[in-house]
Amino acid sequence: MELHQVRYFLALASTLNFTRAAEMCNVTQPALTKGVQKLEQELGGQLIYRERQLTHLTDLGKAVLPMLERALASTEAVRRRAREFQRKEVAPLAIGLAPSISASLVLEPIAEIRKFVPGLHVELREEPPGRLVELLLEGDINVALVGDLDDKPERIDDWALFAERYVAVLAPSHQLADLPVVGMEALREATILDQSNCDLAPKFQSLCFPDAPSQHNHRGNRDLHLQHLAAAGFGIVLAPEHMPRLPSLKAVPIEGDPVWREVHLLAVQGRRYSPALDAFVKVARLRDWSLHTGSRLQTGYRSHLESIGVCA
Amino acid sequence: MSDRLTKTLDQVRSELLSELSDNDRKAYIQLVDWLRKTDVASHALQVGDTAPDFLLPDAHGRLHSSEHLRSEGPLVVSFYRGGWCPFCNAELRALQAVKAEFDRLNANVVVLSPETRDLPRQLKRQLNLDLTMLADVDHGVAISYGVLFCVPDEAKAHYAGQGYDFGHRHGSTAWMLPIPATYVIDRGGVIRSAFVEPDFTIRQEPSDILNNVCQLSGSQAQDASSSGE
Repeated sequence: MELHQVRYFLALASTLNFTRAAEMCNVTQPALTKGVQKLEQELGGQLIYRERQLTHLTDLGKAVLPMLERALASTEAVRRRAREFQRKEVAPLAIGLAPSISASLVLEPIAEIRKFVPGLHVELREEPPGRLVELLLEGDINVALVGDLDDKPERIDDWALFAERYVAVLAPSHQLADLPVVGMEALREATILDQSNCDLAPKFQSLCFPDAPSQHNHRGNRDLHLQHLAAAGFGIVLAPEHMPRLPSLKAVPIEGDPVWREVHLLAVQGRRYSPALDAFVKVARLRDWSLHTGSRLQTGYRSHLESIGVCA
Repeated sequence: MSDRLTKTLDQVRSELLSELSDNDRKAYIQLVDWLRKTDVASHALQVGDTAPDFLLPDAHGRLHSSEHLRSEGPLVVSFYRGGWCPFCNAELRALQAVKAEFDRLNANVVVLSPETRDLPRQLKRQLNLDLTMLADVDHGVAISYGVLFCVPDEAKAHYAGQGYDFGHRHGSTAWMLPIPATYVIDRGGVIRSAFVEPDFTIRQEPSDILNNVCQLSGSQAQDASSSGE
């Protein structure tokens, strides 16, 4: 397929009007129609229903649209980078991080991008995952890293970056703190600090304590509050291994690593990628996160996690 | 050496073709027929065209800019389909075998595939490669070189039946692949040789690529000396 055919189709998909699409692409309407028809031949079916009053995308058109949008965004980002570079323009990149994602994870990708995007201005923003999705859609952030996310709008692109296990986070003075791993029996006897509105609790419950409930005496609705309680010796927090934690706390693996989660990269479909965003997304999707997280998301691993039912 | 390499690639191709099951052979013929019929290769950039620049991550997430790569000497850009394709792996091994010769000519060789995640790293390890393997994330470069096609339904069903999920491998919902193509680009970003072949079992011999690079190095050296006179 050719780049101009893709441009014509994307213009048509956004306007659903042949005349306006041709104007957008600065070509005649017959040229645009011919280009889209060629693309349709190659893709093996109609992309657009051509009706007088109701031009709309076919199922095939809808299926290939996100991919073609990303491909075009990627090619345009390279050209824009050269322009930005020449004009010494500022290149903002707003990254949203869920509270359980450490900012240290994104430092290397940012440093890599800065070599090629000298005007890079990074903004890091911490919000709950649901709020990050809203901010993405509103255009206030460009990209987000989140853990588990229940409802994700279709307009959000989502790439799994790595998997990480849950560990027991506790005070060094806790009786289990010096163990190499915390066994299930010990965990059952311990006081688990409960995070309100956390969907992980039932998962841990069914996996680790199917017969008897764990002990939840204290609770909080923020990770930091729970960590303060743990530091003061009130109990154990079950948390993703690389979640930012108070320096006074210790993380101990749980026997058999029964619960995992995936960390995902989110961006908005169809939105124009800035050179900085384009580079960040590409680096994030290639880098070896296991060097920094100790747990890799190898191809096929995800299905393994799903098959044994331990992917939170 | 070039004879051995030619023979090696030819041998591998013949061996692999002879090992195809009836079903695989039928699928191969169907796909190549389709690629020829739709004339996918006609969209590809040709000698004299300006090569679109790119900024892509390698297997370890480090970025590489084509502008920088070609500023150091001739740049060889080779599109391959993925680590699942034995013909691609044969090509990568053959390129690796002559890498020192490319180095001697100050030529950078980059191989591009749409595969993401840990797949390029796995392939590097598996084939013991130190080639610069770039991930053409979301196919932006393949599309700008005109070598991208959407995998037709029959081929999709065949590959899926073999356990290949390109959506997962590429991190996208649509199944798209490049046709194998090898370009030699000069310092000014102009394509000086192009090999584009819809029959994905046929690849340009490394000896031919080396010859093209040699010619370009020679003409660039000549240009440099005449401009200095």
